[in-house]
Amino acid sequence: MTRKRFSVPIKKNQSFGLNITSMTDMFTILLVFLLQSFAAGEVQIDPVDGVRLPQSSTEKNPVDGAKLSVSAKEIRFDQKVVALIKDNQVDTAALDAHDNQFIKPLFEELKKLNTDNEKLAKTGKVLLQADENIPYATLRKIMYTASMAGFPNLKLVTTVGN
Amino acid sequence: MGKRFKLHIDRNAEFELDLAPLLAVMVKLVPVLLVSSAFVQMMIIETELPQVVQDAVKKQEADPNAASISVAVTKSDGVKITLTEKGQAHVEVVGLGQDKQIDYPTLHAKFVALKKSHPAIFKIDIQPDGDVAYKDVVRVMDEARKAREKDLRFPVKDEKSGKETTTDYMFPEIVFGNTMDG
Repeated sequence: MTRKRFSVPIKKNQSFGLNITSMTDMFTILLVFLLQSFAAGEVQIDPVDGVRLPQSSTEKNPVDGAKLSVSAKEIRFDQKVVALIKDNQVDTAALDAHDNQFIKPLFEELKKLNTDNEKLAKTGKVLLQADENIPYATLRKIMYTASMAGFPNLKLVTTVGN
Repeated sequence: MGKRFKLHIDRNAEFELDLAPLLAVMVKLVPVLLVSSAFVQMMIIETELPQVVQDAVKKQEADPNAASISVAVTKSDGVKITLTEKGQAHVEVVGLGQDKQIDYPTLHAKFVALKKSHPAIFKIDIQPDGDVAYKDVVRVMDEARKAREKDLRFPVKDEKSGKETTTDYMFPEIVFGNTMDG
């Protein structure tokens, strides 16, 4: 007895329409979310590696200024390492011999900025991105040095919190 | 006379909207926004104040006999708020909670009470100890800056018009008093 073999009929010239409505819905939601979270401030601050910023309820957008960052390992001025930090304290090699609050390399960099970018220096603004666990003693040295170099307007960069 | 043309409308007709061009735009736009979006929103703490509050701060600075508030933050004892008025100092201490952290709700309540009793003061002097963590300093500043309750507002006099108005700012002008101590 011979059985007839079952075969699926395939139409070679058949076309099908893909329903993309649900995909468009998904993209619309994604687009709205991304547009909402798009940073539209006048100054873009890049997060610094190794720096966990404290949370604050402030609603002020960042302004332009000399960018300083303090992590558990180093103090940076515009991505350039100016002093090392050991055990949450500024390395003594970077401190002035006669004034232990004065960070000499940082002062020199800020002084250089006075001539390189006169317009920015005139505002006297410092944007400080410091790790949340850094003790105030270390920050005080930075504030002290910045004030000496003609940058007394300190702006503390924080993340948005409750 | 010609026959009047009549538009035939099929009420039950369906049509399919071509979403392909819209999807093409979105496919291009989404990666661009994904790359340029900042998911960690950063803000700054500074003293950008409304004009009326700025004038009140200037007035407070100009008067050497005006009452002043000093806030000392220590790791072991918490926050000590000193109000100096007419040569006399009134001290209030907000201690640490059971978790060895500053009791922030109590601290905020103290600042609110202080602002209610002294609405003309806008500036405080903060003096944290060297071993106090940066996040604790920022938190104390947060508690002092603005009232958290939405309905709570404090009177402030507009120096230009002479009219009384209100603000939710408590102590927005915060100065690090011990920066230059050396």
